[in-house]
Order: sequence, then C-alpha cells, then structure tokens
Amino acid sequence: MAKLPTPQMLMASRPELPKESWLDTKPQFAPGSYCYSEKKETMELLHMPNPHDWDPSAEDWNLPENWEQILCDAFEERLEKHRSLKLFMDICVRCGACADKCHFFLGTNDPKNMPVLRAELLRSLYRRDHTMLGKLLGKKVGARSWDKQVVKELFYYAYQCTECRRCSLFCPYGIDTAEITAIVRELMHEVGLGTHWIMDPVKNCSFTGNHLGIKPHSFKEIVEMLADDCETVTGIRPKTPFNEKGHEILFITPSGDVFADPGIYTFMGYLLLFHELDLDYTFSTYASEGGNFGSFTTFNMAKKLNAKMYAEAERLGVKWILGGECGHMWRVVNQYMATYNGPSPANMVTPKSPITGTVFKNAAATKMVHITEFTADLIRHGKLNLDPSRNDHIITTFHDSCNPARAMGLLEEPRYILKHVCNHFVEMPENTIREQTFCCGAGSGLNTEEIMELRMRSGMPRGNALRYVQQKYGVNHMACVCAIDRATLPPLANYWAPGVNVSGLHELVANALVMKGEAKRTMDLRQEDLPNVDADEAEAEEGR
Amino acid sequence: MQTAKLLANLKDSLTEQWTQAVFASYPEKSLPFLKTQKDPFANPVASMIREAAAVLFDALAGQDMDVEKVKTALDRFVKIRAVQEFTPSQAVGVIYLLKPLLRKQLLPEMQKQLDAYLEVESRVDSLALLAFDMYMTDKERVAEIRVTEIRNQYAQLKRWAQHLNAQAPLGEFAGCGQS
Ligand code: SF4
Ligand code: SF4
Repeated sequence: MAKLPTPQMLMASRPELPKESWLDTKPQFAPGSYCYSEKKETMELLHMPNPHDWDPSAEDWNLPENWEQILCDAFEERLEKHRSLKLFMDICVRCGACADKCHFFLGTNDPKNMPVLRAELLRSLYRRDHTMLGKLLGKKVGARSWDKQVVKELFYYAYQCTECRRCSLFCPYGIDTAEITAIVRELMHEVGLGTHWIMDPVKNCSFTGNHLGIKPHSFKEIVEMLADDCETVTGIRPKTPFNEKGHEILFITPSGDVFADPGIYTFMGYLLLFHELDLDYTFSTYASEGGNFGSFTTFNMAKKLNAKMYAEAERLGVKWILGGECGHMWRVVNQYMATYNGPSPANMVTPKSPITGTVFKNAAATKMVHITEFTADLIRHGKLNLDPSRNDHIITTFHDSCNPARAMGLLEEPRYILKHVCNHFVEMPENTIREQTFCCGAGSGLNTEEIMELRMRSGMPRGNALRYVQQKYGVNHMACVCAIDRATLPPLANYWAPGVNVSGLHELVANALVMKGEAKRTMDLRQEDLPNVDADEAEAEEGR
Repeated sequence: MQTAKLLANLKDSLTEQWTQAVFASYPEKSLPFLKTQKDPFANPVASMIREAAAVLFDALAGQDMDVEKVKTALDRFVKIRAVQEFTPSQAVGVIYLLKPLLRKQLLPEMQKQLDAYLEVESRVDSLALLAFDMYMTDKERVAEIRVTEIRNQYAQLKRWAQHLNAQAPLGEFAGCGQS
C-alpha cells in the first residue's frame, strides 16, 4: 500500500547527496528561472550563426549537427584571441575568495552560482583539451567532455550572471568572471542560442536606432511630448534638437528613458538642464540608444552597435559626445571603445565644458563625458541655481550601478550632485555600496519579466540593504545613474522595500533647478505636488 | 507560566536546531557558508532565517506577541522563500519542523500537562498558517510586479498612441498640406 510522505519528507527534502560529483548534476529549467529564446527570424536578420527554433524547457534544443566541433573551434579561437581568457582559465587557485560575493549565489544558494564554480563549468572543458594533466587524467583533475547537458548548463548559468564584476573585486588574481560569462554567451551564440529580451533590442538598435524600433519621426514626437510635460511643470518648453549638424555636442543616452516610467523623468531632467545652460547640442535618432545590448551577446555585436556613436558624431560634425546616465554603455565606452571603434573621428576634440571651461582630460581618448562629471563640474563652479528644499520630502539613498562604479570608478560625482540637490541623503551599509555595490540583479539583459522570481532573489542582497535603511532611517527614495536600474529597481523595491521610489539623478537635479524665467514650481517632474507649497499659492498659480 | 519557563530553557537549542533544519533545505555545498558567515549583508539568507527563528520561538513561548510584530519579523524570511525554487510546502512548511523538535525536547517534560503542550503545538499551526498567507501575498505581488513592469516599459509609447488617436482627424488633413 502506498504511504503518504511524512511532513519532514515534504518540507525538508534535500535529496540525498547526489552520487555524482557537482559537475554531473543537471540544471532544472523551471519557469521563472530562464529567459525565453530568440526567434529564428531575428537571428537570421542579424546574420547570427546557426539560427534555429528552440525552447529552453524542451529536452532537445535542436542544436546544429556538428555542434560539438563548432563549440570546440569557437572556444579555441577565443583562447587565442583573448590572452586574458587563457589566463583566467589557467591561474585560478580555487581559493574561494569570490565564492560568496555573487548576489546570485547569495539569493539562490545554488553552489554553481559561486563565481568560482560558474567559471569552472567552462574551465573543466578547457582542461580536457588544453592542459596536459586534463588530457591524461580526465575526470580525476576536474576535466570533462562536451555533451548536450553541458551546453544546457553553460547556458543556464551564463544567464544567471549579470556580468557585474563584484566577484573580481575580491579575487587576488583579478580574475574577471564577467568576462568568462561573456565568452560563454558568445559560445552559445555560435550554436544559435540567444534570448529574446536581448536579441530583439539588438535588432531594433541595429536597424532603427532605439531599442524598441520606433521610427525616427515618431521617436522625435515622443521626445517632444516630454518637452511639453516640462513646460507644464516649469512654464518653459525646452528645445529638442534632432539630427542637426554643426553643434558642439552630441548627446547620447539610453532610449529606455524616452519610453519607460520612471526613466522619462530623468530624460526631462536633461532637457531642462540643457535648456537652462543654452547648451549647443543635438540628439541623433540613429545613435539614440547609448545602452549597448550587443555587449550582452558577442564582442562583435557590441562593436557594431557602439560604432553608431562615432559614426553619428562624424556625420553631425560635433566636437565631443556627452553621455547620459547609463550602466553598460559606460562599461563599453570606458573599457572597449578605443579598441572597438577608435580612434575617434578627426572632427572630435578633447571635451571642454562650454560653461566652465573645464577640460575633461580623462575623456581625451574616447571624447565622451559622463553627464554626472559634467553636472558635478557645473555645481562646483556655481553655475547652477539650486533649491534642494524642493526635494525635502525625499530621504534618499544612492545605488551605485555596477558598471559606472566598478568599470569606471564613478563614485564621487553622483554623490556630490545628490548632496547638492537633496537635503537628506543616507548611505546603505558599507559592504553594499561603492566598489562593493550589489547588482540590481537583472543587468546584462536579464531584466525581462519572465524571470521575475529569479530577479527577486538575485536582487535580494540589494533589496535587503535598501530595506535596512528604509526601516532604520526612513529612506523613501533611491537614486541611481543607470537606465536598466530605473527599470529593475522599482520592482525590486516594490518587493523588498515597498514604499521606496526610484529615480535617476537628473530628475532630482531638474526638480531642484531654479531656471531663468520659470513659473513658480508647484509640482515636481512627475506632476506630483511639491512640499512646502501652500495650497492657496498653488491654486492661485493654477488660476493665473 | 510553567510552559514558558520550560521553553525558556530550551530557547537556544530549539532556535539553533530549527535554523539548522532550514539550512538543510539548501544544497549541501552551500551549507558551510550559510552556517559560518554572520554579517547580515554578506549572508542575508542566514540572517533572515535567524531572525525568523527568534520570533517564532518567542511566539511559541506564548509571550504576548502582536500578530503584526510576528509578521514583520517573518517578512524577509517568507519573502526569500517565496522566490527561491521551493514548492509551497517546502517554502513555508519548514515552520512545521518545529514540531518534531518540540516533541523530542519539550514533550517529555510536559507529560503531566498535555493540554498546555498541545497549546504550544497549536501555536506552531497558527504561525504556519500566518506564514502561508504571507507567502501567497508575496507570490501575488510578484505576479502584479510583472504586469506593472510591462506597462511601465511602454508607458510613454502608450501615451503617444493615445495622443495620435486623439489627433487622427487632423492627421488626415495634414497629409494634404493643410495642417
Ligand atoms: S577568488 Fe580568484 S583565484 Fe580564488 S577561486 Fe575565485 S576566481 Fe579563483
Ligand atoms: S560577475 Fe557578478 S553576477 Fe557574475 S559571477 Fe561575478 S558576482 Fe556573480
């Protein structure tokens, strides 16, 4: 007779220790833990190798017939091309310093999400073909062969890494697991495996400019609507220059901020700031996506999308590029732009602020300045009239986005600005900010809704720190300088620290900015009532 | 009163054993880390489990525990279990793992006061039920967040589409150069 399982069996049923070693356990593709696959047509349009229909939850992924050869060759080619990869494969001493530093491990407690084991998934394959011991002793020294389950495992864990580089901060050898993940994703693409949420924007950015594929004239109209909103709030309608030749500056920012709530308010912030400065600038509709979705797929795709920035700078004849609040855009610019697409076009010069005269020598190579460097410099020279009391209803903290923090060391400028536009600023615990910042849990193309449960656990270390300052100091706001964060942090906050709002930095800047000839402000950019405005005043204003 | 006293003596051992039982629901290879790292931000899951263990124990002991207070203390624990890869019974049913512990350690001491003992066990039931409600709320929130996220991603596009619709008649004329 069949027996009911005991409660203990139901609840704490850690399966008996698997007989096989960790290398042989298989990932489960449970809903909520994997991203949807990309459509074959998209892959074809982009000339990606081996496009085919497949489903991550299916047993058979319809890999091309000679998949193993393709992967072995592709891996070998990368090892030759990137000396760093070979080094990362060889020098890890498995000290474990990185093991507990990954938010995916902390949130899932899945050992294969320890960076060292994530890398070991690939390293075990490397050992078999590229090390003497591995060739001779095989499994005994942690070498293994390719098989279809291994491919699934590589895919599974390459999309449970946000390439945030927190682990590399703690590695005594500086092994960058993010780069290993990037290579694994490249390898997966060689056999036609990619995700919809990444490839669709790649297609749109390639063909149209912005990540949703909105046609240029419509894109412009949408931006104009935002300019109208600016007028409603301030009484001033900022200009929206598009594709105009002969300006000094080309401004490039993520297109997410043109479409998505709450990113749009940051975008309005830029419009107002530039208007107030009477900045000589233009947007481009083709280079209208600063965020490089290609960098989540392959180096070549990253290079291709990044090329648009210089191409447009050249066509429009600008002197330098000002870049908006974005994460991976800056990682790509800071780390790869020179090798991908350098040198910059001949018409470009080392950026110099037209307002303060400051020369941004740090941008001499790329000719691109981060907006927080630009704005911090304005504030430092007293060029902005700011009234931080307009943000007095906010007790804010600051989330260091992984890429600006760890890939370009942008730690002080955002804080400097924040402290000048808000009177109440509180830091999260020390081991969760600055270089040690915890990822939002959904960077590198993982901010898709089908993996919301995964995101809520991988973002937990960040959410947990936010919740702490919310409860301890009454924090009700989190500022950030990344468009992906503006998309991923609101859900995360909603789950882990409900009641905390998320915004970009320049939304707060524009709220505090006292503009020449502006109408009395009664609303913030979200058209919500400002504090300290008494009701009569507001009404009188409306009736005017 | 007697029960409370007996339980008080068992506090450390019960909370520790329950904590270990919950740890055991995670993969073996992760246990050394869960058990040793004490910093609440470097090892948040363990910190959540320990926080839950403490409040569960206090509630069990029948001390005057406000439901809201219990909920607040269980909140992080239930939230993380709700989004990790557990079945519902594994996620919050682990609260029932208090029962075998109580039967082993408290029951022998309370043979003469079975009623009082059963009351303690019933409190385990109440706590588990409370946690199940919280678990469902969290699950629903995740579902709701998914929908809101999609809506927010296209917020501005939607406004633009509405704007175009409102202007449709004009748009036709605009095509004839009469705008
Ligand atoms: S910290 Fe570096 S050397 Fe140590 S296990 Fe991690 S990757 Fe290997
Ligand atoms: S790069 Fe970030 S997500 Fe990837 S393994 Fe390292 S810590 Fe984890």
